Amino acid sequence: MIRNIFASVLLCASSMVAANPSPMGVDEAAPVDEALGLRLPAGFKATVFADDIGRVRHIVAAENGWLYGALMRPNKNMGAVAMKDADGDGVAEETIFFGRGLKGTGIGIYDGYLYYSTDVSVIRWKLPESGEPKTEPELIAYGFAEKRQHAAKSFALDGKGGLYVNVGAPSNACMTKMRTKGSPGMEPCPILEEFGGIWKFDADKQNQQQMKEGVRYATGIRNAVALDWNPHADSLYVVPHGRDQLGEFFPEFFTPEDSAELPAEEFHKVAEGADMGWPYSYFDHRKGERMVMPEYGGDGKMVSDRGQKPLAAFPGHWAPNDMLFMRSGKIPAQYQYGAFVGFHGSWNRAPFPQAGYRVAYVPMDAAGNVTGDWITFADGFAGVEKVMSPRDAKHRPMGLAEDASGALYISSLMSGGRIWKITYVDE
Amino acid sequence: MLMNRYSALVAVLLAAGAVTGTAQAQEGVSEGKRLYDASCGSCHQADGGGVPMLQPELIGRPRANGPPGGVIDMILFGSDAMAENEGDYGNEMPAFSHMTDLEIAKIATYVRTHFENNGGPVTSDDVKPRRAR
Repeated sequence: MIRNIFASVLLCASSMVAANPSPMGVDEAAPVDEALGLRLPAGFKATVFADDIGRVRHIVAAENGWLYGALMRPNKNMGAVAMKDADGDGVAEETIFFGRGLKGTGIGIYDGYLYYSTDVSVIRWKLPESGEPKTEPELIAYGFAEKRQHAAKSFALDGKGGLYVNVGAPSNACMTKMRTKGSPGMEPCPILEEFGGIWKFDADKQNQQQMKEGVRYATGIRNAVALDWNPHADSLYVVPHGRDQLGEFFPEFFTPEDSAELPAEEFHKVAEGADMGWPYSYFDHRKGERMVMPEYGGDGKMVSDRGQKPLAAFPGHWAPNDMLFMRSGKIPAQYQYGAFVGFHGSWNRAPFPQAGYRVAYVPMDAAGNVTGDWITFADGFAGVEKVMSPRDAKHRPMGLAEDASGALYISSLMSGGRIWKITYVDE
Repeated sequence: MLMNRYSALVAVLLAAGAVTGTAQAQEGVSEGKRLYDASCGSCHQADGGGVPMLQPELIGRPRANGPPGGVIDMILFGSDAMAENEGDYGNEMPAFSHMTDLEIAKIATYVRTHFENNGGPVTSDDVKPRRAR
């Protein structure tokens, strides 16, 4: 009897393994495909879907077969682009620029509308049957203060009427004197009233002002360019940009190596009312603890009780610029529930080489729990083995999207702008 | 004859001055690099390459090849020194007005004589009057 139970447990365990194999990352020994400018795990192939489309940021695939992208700087005076691969060879033949006079980062689809964000607003167009929108845009959310730092209003849609907008803090660490060596932090940090969090809006309602109709959904987030709604676990997830220059401003507490590695880039599940700790604390992935920010009395050793702990952590300064949960159900099971995270790559790790410049994958279960260590899903974008200065990187991952067939798209705004299409071939 | 001697003396003095000036400039440059690396390099990078879309590159830039105030004002006032439509960068630069005139002159000299810039050296006397602007 005992033996039978034991045997059935074993059987159960082995069938679980078979049903849910570990996702595989890139083979570090494999060469980077130089023509493509990236490296993928075995079983995946890529094409250059679009080239020279400009400073493309976030992207989204519509059921009408078109891929839409937001442009951070106008191309031909237009702030958005629509692309279509009609013959199915993995390369878009049709490219239409639209959105005259706009520039933005966020783009998304909900209930027959194409949503788009500038630095100060979220608008939407009726999603056309094909190509560019044919109607005038509606203003959904506005009143975001115009700032230079961390101004991108990237957003997520929950598919049931909720619009979650990243309102980045126009600050590094809420210092009294902006980015000045040894300056203390403001307590409480007044920036958090209007910035440094996620604001929630009704995706179907026009003319909502951030500080009137908008609701502060979560706080303590320096700048979450990377955010997505996890449709499997029905929750918001974010990967904010961690603060810069610990060692430069507080050399008495942080060696150049500490400063390159810290703080971790944090992967969070975000419930309503959650606090991610900025600017009072940061996460040290080497210690597995939240630490007091040096602007608030920290010394690199003092543990903080402010802010929630992340579910996963990446090395410092990698610059997470988009996150994507897959929805089509048409990708291999091991990539079904986890999060793809696009890292733009660092500028803040000197004298050590810069790092990041990849798309990572965080394995998760259907309930939204992290089930294993993150892996590198795609790299080689930079085109050089070591990036000593960010300008040397040929490409830097930016936006992520999935189409109805389960293909993954990755954008880069460097070198004229490029989008790759990645499919699973299992050869 | 007298005039010739006088001219020769002037020439010698001028040459000596030039030599001393060059030595000072060289010393200023290495100190300038140290100051640059400590206070400017993390954003503008050790190679002056900046960060695309975020922090300006300093290579072959008009401010580093024009009148002395171009770089000095950036150090003194940060982003506030920039014209509304000058540049297209996501980050803001803080003011470094807490530095001494000499430190600022050394950094400005380093930037104006490196990274493919030929604006030439500046001195503390160039910095001082610009603080009041």
